[in-house]
Amino acid sequence: MMETLIITALNGLSLGTLLFLISMGLTTIFGVMGVLNFAHGSLYMLGAYMCLQAMRLFHNFWLGLLVAPLAVGLLGMAIEVQFLRKIYDRHLTLQLLLTFAFLLILDDAVRILWGAGYHTVDPPRLLAGTLRVLGRPYPVYSLFILVLGPAVGLALWAFFYRTKVGMIVRAAAMDREMASSLGVNVPKLFTYVFFFGSWLAGLGGALAAPLRAIGPAMGEKIIIESFIVVVIGGLGSFPGAFIGAMIFGLFDAFGIHFVPRIHMAIPFILLAAVLLWRPRGLFGEEI
Amino acid sequence: MKGKGVLSVFILVIFGVFVLGMPQGAVAKKPLKIGAVYILSGAFATYGQFARNGINLAVDEINAKGGILGRKVEVTFEDSKAKPAVAIRAFRKLVYEEKVDFLVGLDSSGVALGVVPTLPELKRILIITHAATPDVTGKKCNKYAFRISVNLNQNVGAGARIAAKTGAKRWTTIGPDYAFGHQSWEYFQKYLKKLVPDAVFMEKVAFPKLATEDYSTYITSIMDANPEGVFISLWGGDLVNFVRQANAYGFFKKGYKVLMSLGAATEVLYALKDKMPEGVWVGTRYWFLANPSPTNKRFVEAYKKRYNAYPSYNAQNAYTAIYALKAAIEKAKSTKTEAVIKALEGLRIEAPVGKIYIRPQDHQAILNVTWGKTAADPNYPIRILKPMVTFSGEEVTPSPEETGCKMK
Repeated sequence: MMETLIITALNGLSLGTLLFLISMGLTTIFGVMGVLNFAHGSLYMLGAYMCLQAMRLFHNFWLGLLVAPLAVGLLGMAIEVQFLRKIYDRHLTLQLLLTFAFLLILDDAVRILWGAGYHTVDPPRLLAGTLRVLGRPYPVYSLFILVLGPAVGLALWAFFYRTKVGMIVRAAAMDREMASSLGVNVPKLFTYVFFFGSWLAGLGGALAAPLRAIGPAMGEKIIIESFIVVVIGGLGSFPGAFIGAMIFGLFDAFGIHFVPRIHMAIPFILLAAVLLWRPRGLFGEEI
Repeated sequence: MKGKGVLSVFILVIFGVFVLGMPQGAVAKKPLKIGAVYILSGAFATYGQFARNGINLAVDEINAKGGILGRKVEVTFEDSKAKPAVAIRAFRKLVYEEKVDFLVGLDSSGVALGVVPTLPELKRILIITHAATPDVTGKKCNKYAFRISVNLNQNVGAGARIAAKTGAKRWTTIGPDYAFGHQSWEYFQKYLKKLVPDAVFMEKVAFPKLATEDYSTYITSIMDANPEGVFISLWGGDLVNFVRQANAYGFFKKGYKVLMSLGAATEVLYALKDKMPEGVWVGTRYWFLANPSPTNKRFVEAYKKRYNAYPSYNAQNAYTAIYALKAAIEKAKSTKTEAVIKALEGLRIEAPVGKIYIRPQDHQAILNVTWGKTAADPNYPIRILKPMVTFSGEEVTPSPEETGCKMK
């Protein structure tokens, strides 16, 4: 029984880690720019496809892991500069419409470019095997993600709380006008933040590629899950994204194991509970 | 006056020559129009693509030989987006705006259930080539709806027979959490219980949401419960994900007798390649190697040549639907819906899948159902079935009374 609980917890944390990377991008973009990026799930999907393409060209997963997020980040940057930038001072709904439009465009583009069928990416040989955890086989790749997630989280924390640039980003998140009047080039900052958020989504996608079949609309589910994580953790909060994602993953895994009938409702029950008890989210700013 | 008279005659003559001299072709036979509605976008677009392939192949072959009753066949495709409301609108557009004569379609059982009751209003035949819910030729049957493909009952009926021979007694299931998954389990239990009276169906089952990406806890949870047999009705991308993830947990090395009701679908086998374990019993609605007939060989060759892949069941079913329409129209010598309905009822044709008989009582095709054990073969890039077990339609299809169809 104990082994099952631990294995289930590992599953949950592994899922949580992937969600954390994606939600981190979403919450950073919202926190600094005030933009709810509906296309974030599609960027995740694009990260997976870019990884697929990199594998086809270079036959090297690590290179794919390097190149794919970069490509997605650059695409995100292009979207921000060419389109998003033009509507910052307009109504919020226009932003939502624009990012949603990109969701639709990217979903179809992917189908036109790579076809409607399913593609798979193999994990690198180093990570492809199984380890024995508590006497049971457990995929090495899942453990890799489990370790990588907090490592990335730590690096991000160090960046945001220990570097000058990170401090500037946090300042702009807290008060855009003040930061601007202090000389921060806010438009340029926004572009970099959108690049960064897209890069994270692409990284999530590239990491997910060996785990999940790559197909059109693979981002549709994860965007909803990321939104829930971000709201639970607190919109714009960096530690919130981490804790929220872990909570989501654990509840998901234990839900499947113990209460499969209502498992689908659990994320939404969590969401409702947080919104009722602490609407700003666990780590969010006072609304 | 003389001038006016001459002018009138002149005009009349010109008019006469013009009308009489018009070539036969200009008022000639209008094309025969078929409307096709499938999932063309989103996560399941691959199925619509396959259907399109099959239909285009059939139509080009038929047109090259002169069409149907001397008329060229034209097909218009519309996207159902896997939504009943969208599909109903698409069918209406095809019938009222495009003025199609016949309809084929439907991947999703949910969509089929929504569309079939609207057919009496449209007064057009719909040949279903994919949606497998028993209800469209069962509880919700009507005279306009036909199905040319293997349905859920038939596939699961065959699966139960395979399961009975495995010797496993404690069964669980992993299936998608909607009608298809639940009905597959329901019918599997019903049919297996008849063959193996002491079979036990476990409390612990798994019904992950459709398009779930992470199956890890479903996998570990089911393994924890120690089943003897596992009946899997996951399909498409979900099955691909499940198999890849289950491999990593050693799921296929535990000695479970595993059945996958749609594991022999080519899109799954192509995506998995050698990650599909060997020795798993898999089913499908058409297996390209099961029928040695010249009809099948020709179809498989033509399909492979044009599309560079072995034909999926969806492609074969759609291809056969067009040929079934052709046979019925030629038999009725008419394209009037009522006449073609009568011709389709009781129709027997030779399709790549084998001989098909369209049962008049419920309009369901009676045809062979093939299951097989996955095996590697150096001649093919995907797993093939060795051995193959083919069940006759009569053996695995419930009687019309059992289906609950009351054709009005």
